[in-house]
Amino acid sequence: MALALSRRAVLATGTAMALAPWPRSVLAQDKPAELIVRAWGGVWVESLENGVSRPFTERTGIPVRHDLTEDNEIRPKIWAAVDQGRAPPIHVNWDTSTNATKSALRGVTEDLGDLANLADMLPAARPAGFDGVPLINMYSYVYVLAYRDEAFPDGPPDSWQIMLDPRFKGRVALYDDGIGFHPSAQIAGGGKFEDIPDNMEPAWEFIRKLKAQNPLLGEDPDFTSWFQNGEIDVACTILSNARAAKQSGIAVSWTVPKEGAKVDTDGMWIPKGLPENELFWAKEYVNFAMSQEAQQAWTSGLGLPGLRPGLTPPEDLVGDPAYPSSPEDFARLISVPTRILVEHESDWFQKFNEIMQG
Amino acid sequence: MSRGWLLWLLVGLVVLDLAFLALPTLVVLIASFTPGTIIAFPPEGLSLRWYAALLDRPDFLRALWRSLLVGLVCTALAVPIGTLAALALARFRLRGGTALQVYLLLPFTIPLVVSGIGLMLVFGQLGWLGRVWPVGVAACVINLPFMIWAVAAAVNHLDPDLENAAQSLGAPPTHAFVTVTLPAVMPGIVTGALVMFILAVNEFLVSLMLVDARTVTLPVLVYNAIRSIITPDLAAVSAVYVGLALVAILLLDRLVGLDIFLRSRKS
Amino acid sequence: MSRSPGLRVLDALEGVRATLWPRPLAPLTPWAFLVPALLLTGLLVAALVPLADASLRQLDRATFRLDESWSLANYAAVLARPVYGVMALRTLGGALIVTAVTLLLAFPYAWLMVRTARPALRRLLLISLFLPFFIGQVVRAYGWLVVLGQQGLANSLLAALGLPPLTILYTFPGVLVGLVQYMLPFAVLMLAPALTAVPEEVELASAGLGATPLRTLWRVVLPLARPGLVAAGVVVFTLTLTDFAMPEIMGGGTNDFIASAVYDAFFQLGDPGLGGAIAILMTAVGSLAVGAVLALFGLGTLGYVEERR
Repeated sequence: MALALSRRAVLATGTAMALAPWPRSVLAQDKPAELIVRAWGGVWVESLENGVSRPFTERTGIPVRHDLTEDNEIRPKIWAAVDQGRAPPIHVNWDTSTNATKSALRGVTEDLGDLANLADMLPAARPAGFDGVPLINMYSYVYVLAYRDEAFPDGPPDSWQIMLDPRFKGRVALYDDGIGFHPSAQIAGGGKFEDIPDNMEPAWEFIRKLKAQNPLLGEDPDFTSWFQNGEIDVACTILSNARAAKQSGIAVSWTVPKEGAKVDTDGMWIPKGLPENELFWAKEYVNFAMSQEAQQAWTSGLGLPGLRPGLTPPEDLVGDPAYPSSPEDFARLISVPTRILVEHESDWFQKFNEIMQG
Repeated sequence: MSRGWLLWLLVGLVVLDLAFLALPTLVVLIASFTPGTIIAFPPEGLSLRWYAALLDRPDFLRALWRSLLVGLVCTALAVPIGTLAALALARFRLRGGTALQVYLLLPFTIPLVVSGIGLMLVFGQLGWLGRVWPVGVAACVINLPFMIWAVAAAVNHLDPDLENAAQSLGAPPTHAFVTVTLPAVMPGIVTGALVMFILAVNEFLVSLMLVDARTVTLPVLVYNAIRSIITPDLAAVSAVYVGLALVAILLLDRLVGLDIFLRSRKS
Repeated sequence: MSRSPGLRVLDALEGVRATLWPRPLAPLTPWAFLVPALLLTGLLVAALVPLADASLRQLDRATFRLDESWSLANYAAVLARPVYGVMALRTLGGALIVTAVTLLLAFPYAWLMVRTARPALRRLLLISLFLPFFIGQVVRAYGWLVVLGQQGLANSLLAALGLPPLTILYTFPGVLVGLVQYMLPFAVLMLAPALTAVPEEVELASAGLGATPLRTLWRVVLPLARPGLVAAGVVVFTLTLTDFAMPEIMGGGTNDFIASAVYDAFFQLGDPGLGGAIAILMTAVGSLAVGAVLALFGLGTLGYVEERR
């Protein structure tokens, strides 16, 4: 009943917004020919398109173009543009909170504190440790243990230790920098969460054992094609990728093992150096992305909990520990503060590379 | 003694080469006709679905056009610059030859990732970013040794006596250059130009740093797409490339004859 | 005396040349020919300058900017990490193997292409050479995934023959397969002109004097084709040494070449100082290697022509 009500409420809000989306004075601002929003591809850009960009275009008449340049690859381009006083190559960067924070610390992001919808978001939407709001966190996501159903006829694995099982030699996959896996490896390797980042030796020991398993290392699309082509049986990847694979008919499931799984957030920010009217509409875009309607549609598409209260979880994820919605859910997961990630994650990448390339 | 086994070895290696060269291309071409949503081999049927999908992607067509422009800019720069440099290197004993070679080979010894980032900074300073032609300049810079080497190799065919004879018969230097030197090295120029064009049309790593969403070239679009989700439309894009290549090669064959890659016209 | 329009254009060009480049400057002509190429390559040198500068500054993780002051800390960090040595050796070894195998495969192809009396065969060989060129490295690598994957074409064939599956994809040899295939056309194109320059009569004469084909190949053809072999070898070696895409895609992430370390430093770690340091070291090592090869084996196709006459 409560669900049905809130759903109706969503629809009602949506209609109201469609009728009177923005005050007249707002629309009077010179509209840019288009907005360019950096996005990840596949299910990620599809969800953004359906949940945010298309409705935004319908309201404002401003087409949105998605730039699928990798988050890591766009960063030096934006930094160089700001340094050289050029207009940045994109209007809005959809980014990991860690990377976004690095750009914020460098001072290349616009302040978003005046966006109206920010007040309706959960406190976690505001990045900690800044005076202003250089970026806005949009949703949480979990690096789950994804597995091929066929390989686990007796039910899901309950521990990350399964990756070390000899029968999965050459059939385990991780992100190529180990992102999302280091904290899980720390716990699975017998270490303590409190020791992150000062003593990560248990994590490295676990990853060294994993190296002997000849794991495959890749990026989002690789996991899908590897599962599809039967190259791997287990992987540490973001829930959205596993879910998209399952939805496209690949026999894949996921679980949060007993050690927990890393939970993190993604956000949006706007680079400095945009002409005034473009900055205005870029802010409107980010503001719209926080609206009830956009958050609901966008995060449902991704299968991730948005950082706005009152969202309805997608039916297939209700009660799934990989879709955390209550404090108890989050307590089961491993949440490393962004500040620690900003300072130490690149060292973890290096350490991970050192083990994997050695 | 018969030439037997060596000949068979030769033929065997060439057949292996042919299969080796063709295999991934053929697989990609055939996969482009798959009716499913994944690149499957063998495909579970034949369909033009992904070609139709391409026509619905104006961004792909625009990117293809930009890539052709990049190829043209690159080739137009490379032909005169590379030819002159090759003639200078091959016809004259220059001081510091090895150092000069090492310098001119920098495009190959500097990793493309580095060239990309560095050129982005330089072009950004010059105010060149945001346009397509600088990508052609970059493609020319990073592949220039191919042009130089192709022409230099063709200088083998050039008989210096012929040039000298022309000049001693009273032909001014420009006449000798245009009527004797250029025709003699033409095979190298054609080979070099084609290689430069192909490489420029396919360049992605350096271009990635130089383009934005408004100036994106086809290989960069493909590169970004492949790292998002691998669907057969990418195979279809490649098939279009191969189709274009085939047309270009047949045209070249009709116009000047493919043999031009191997010998100068006069011989 | 009336002259043809073509000649009149030439006369006009000659006039321009004579004005801009009078006889006394003639000794400088080769340098004038070289200047455009030197300038164009100079763009790359200019591109290296900010990176060399960055390599001397450390990243400050409070501001994500590079330090104001210079230090050699990044170079020390590179040298202190054995993983970079491992990757460099893997790259170097890979480049040597790829160069040798590619030359071995390219030589017969180029020889047949040059020597065959059948125009149809020559045409087939030329077209087969150029077509794969038009499919870029990335897409070609994905073609290999289809061929060499666990359930790929090769393993389906092996299974049909009752043979055990082959694991080559995502291994070091898999990377080498992809690289050799990518480099083959380059090598053939570098070799062909050099082989054209070896007169067929010389081969026939050698055979006529009773030399076995192997002896003719070893004592006559290979030495005469040396400039082409050096040129092809240098091209394949340097391109492999700096390659990024093939090891990334076909290596499954654990067989990276050193170019990936540069990429990771710049993009994954966001540390242009470290990336710059690896880049400078790589360029220096690559250039030294090229210089050594050219000094040892001669300038290849690039040298002063009379050397070879």
